[in-house]
Amino acid sequence: MNGVLFAKIKLFIRTPWTFVIMTAMTILFTLILGTSNPATFQVPVYSLDNSLEDSLIYKALQDNKFIQFQWRSMESTKQKVKKGKAELGVELSANDFKILVGVNSPKVSIVEHTLQEIYMDKLKQEKMLKGIKDKKTRIELKEQLEDIAAHAVFHIQTMEFKGEEDFIYNNLFQRVFGFTLFFVIYTIAYNVFHILIEKRDGIWDRIILSPIKRWEMYTGNLVYSFVAGYLQIIIVFLIFHFIVGIEFNASLWKLLLVMIPYVFAIVALTILITALVKTVQQFNAIIPMLSVSMAMVGGAFWPIELVQSKPLLMIADLIPITYGMELLNGIAIYNYSLEQLFSPLSILLLMGVGMTGIAIHFMERRYI
Amino acid sequence: MLELARLTKRYKQLYAVKGLNMFIEKGEIVGLLGPNGAGKSTAISMLSSLIEPTEGDVRFHGKSILKSPGELRKVTGIVPQEIALYPELSAEENLQFFGRIYQLKGKQLKQRIEEVLELIGLQEKRKEVVKKFSGGMKRRLNIGVALLHQPSLLIMDEPTVGIDPQSRSYILETVKRLNEEKGMTVLYTSHYMEEVEFLCDRIYIMDKGNLIAAGTKEEIKQILTSETTVLIKVEQLNEKFVQRLQAEPSIHQVSTGENEVTVIVPKEIPVFKLILNIAEHTDIELLSIEMKATTLEDVFLHLTGRALRD
Ligand SMILES: Nc1ncnc2c1ncn2[C@@H]1O[C@H](COP(=O)(O)OP(=O)(O)OP(=O)(O)O)[C@@H](O)[C@H]1O
Ligand SMILES: [Mg+2]
Repeated sequence: MNGVLFAKIKLFIRTPWTFVIMTAMTILFTLILGTSNPATFQVPVYSLDNSLEDSLIYKALQDNKFIQFQWRSMESTKQKVKKGKAELGVELSANDFKILVGVNSPKVSIVEHTLQEIYMDKLKQEKMLKGIKDKKTRIELKEQLEDIAAHAVFHIQTMEFKGEEDFIYNNLFQRVFGFTLFFVIYTIAYNVFHILIEKRDGIWDRIILSPIKRWEMYTGNLVYSFVAGYLQIIIVFLIFHFIVGIEFNASLWKLLLVMIPYVFAIVALTILITALVKTVQQFNAIIPMLSVSMAMVGGAFWPIELVQSKPLLMIADLIPITYGMELLNGIAIYNYSLEQLFSPLSILLLMGVGMTGIAIHFMERRYI
Repeated sequence: MLELARLTKRYKQLYAVKGLNMFIEKGEIVGLLGPNGAGKSTAISMLSSLIEPTEGDVRFHGKSILKSPGELRKVTGIVPQEIALYPELSAEENLQFFGRIYQLKGKQLKQRIEEVLELIGLQEKRKEVVKKFSGGMKRRLNIGVALLHQPSLLIMDEPTVGIDPQSRSYILETVKRLNEEKGMTVLYTSHYMEEVEFLCDRIYIMDKGNLIAAGTKEEIKQILTSETTVLIKVEQLNEKFVQRLQAEPSIHQVSTGENEVTVIVPKEIPVFKLILNIAEHTDIELLSIEMKATTLEDVFLHLTGRALRD
């Protein structure tokens, strides 16, 4: 195993470019995209019912951090949508809403979903109020609820209604974590890639025929790729923390700790791909495709909470990035303890072990 | 020492190697000859325990290697057909890596690296990265790697392909020396007849997966005792001449080069008269007619109807 590691480390020193470039990209992308204001967008909204302006709905719209609802007249909203100045507009009524779609974009479903939730909340509150017979209590409760809303604790209150569906969006963390998890895939993949080169060049055959134990050979490769990927994450987080000055709200070591199973799972995944592809070209074609789609579905580019499609969410459950983001957000944003993160941690570990096993099975098939 | 019994490898419909029987005794240099695609490399992969045969067996000291290849692997050095080295590492680093996976360490490793570098004549180039090497230097290092653990059986798959004459004779001399001085057993694969004639005691000839001849050099040449090879040199070759030669029933094989033709004819035929006659009728200016000593190349031509290298 030392022999394998020895060669890999020498190779790494000779050609560190993937590593350096991917580390730089992570930092660059985050700095360019991440420190700007949250990626919000504006939606013109109007209502023919004037009483809506001081309702719960109005407040909820104002409080939305992700979408800026702007009150306009019906005329101006329709014009904007017609002329393409806005992708969509919204007409609100007391118990219903209409979306005017100019261009069909993902924003439509985001807005639709947001509005649905707001109306649902309203409905629930009204039902609750109706359920209470006593008029006096009803008024009190209503006042209370409005009072809560006015003091912006509304959000926390609704969390109980919506449960898991509510999330806190932090653009900076989203970028830091997303890009870190995304770019490290390349670093790992192009280290694991050595295996394919070795196979193509016949070095692998030489190793197979040597007295070195098979497990030493695999462990050597695993350990090396793991260390390269993990090193990159450490460097990135350290730079963000100490040089860029980002407060992660949690101890850095905890963030780094939960990255161990993530890096392991990615190493295993790329080794599995190495075992399944036949040529270097196939590998080069698959890796970017896979990493980009995993990042999109797994929530590295935008919060997974914005993904609504059931099939996509099911796919997301199979993707390591999903759990990586869950772990990092869990620690940095929700301040979860490691015990609370037991499930994503163990899923990643299981993925890693499983994929390594399958990969070795496929690689061994050819040999005696 | 090593014995192949009905060794077969099939890829879908294609028999890369079909029912190969072969043996190698201790201290021999055995040649394995064949044109491109004959199945030489496939045979070597099987007998070195790298890939599993579809059928048949390989026995090392009487024991099948299919279940326990360990013994064989320990004492075997393989020189693969393609250069199997890390191009980004230096000659010395490559040797260090392969030495380590062969469980050499410390002083012993260092000493072996020195010996091997000397043997392959690359001491001066030890610090240079392999990708900057010439073809011949890469070939030599490719061989050197296989010698690190002092194997007693050396299997070489076309170790001299595409290199300059100096490097080639250097390699041939080295192999011969290893055999004579260290008693190393060698299986030497090639499609160059001269190399095999120079090195080998016994020869196997393969074509299209089949073994088509086997024996000592002399035995193989015996195949042609009833026939003679004749080399005809002409001023300016023309199509008509070749066609007439081919049409002549007593002439067995006709192969053409630049203004020369090689034919194989039975010994009892009055060959000079025949050729003079044909030349006259086809307006050919003859330069010389020469009876050649039989070479392995001729045997190959005789057996397959094709030249060994095309
Ligand atoms: N993995 C494989 N899959 C399918 N066919 C193969 C495979 N390996 C070899 N073959 C086929 O088997 C035949 C023998 O190949 P092999 O490489 O053993 O020939 P060779 O004698 O070494 O030729 P060369 O002189 O070109 O090295 C060829 O027709 C080749 O295409
Ligand atoms: Mg070959």
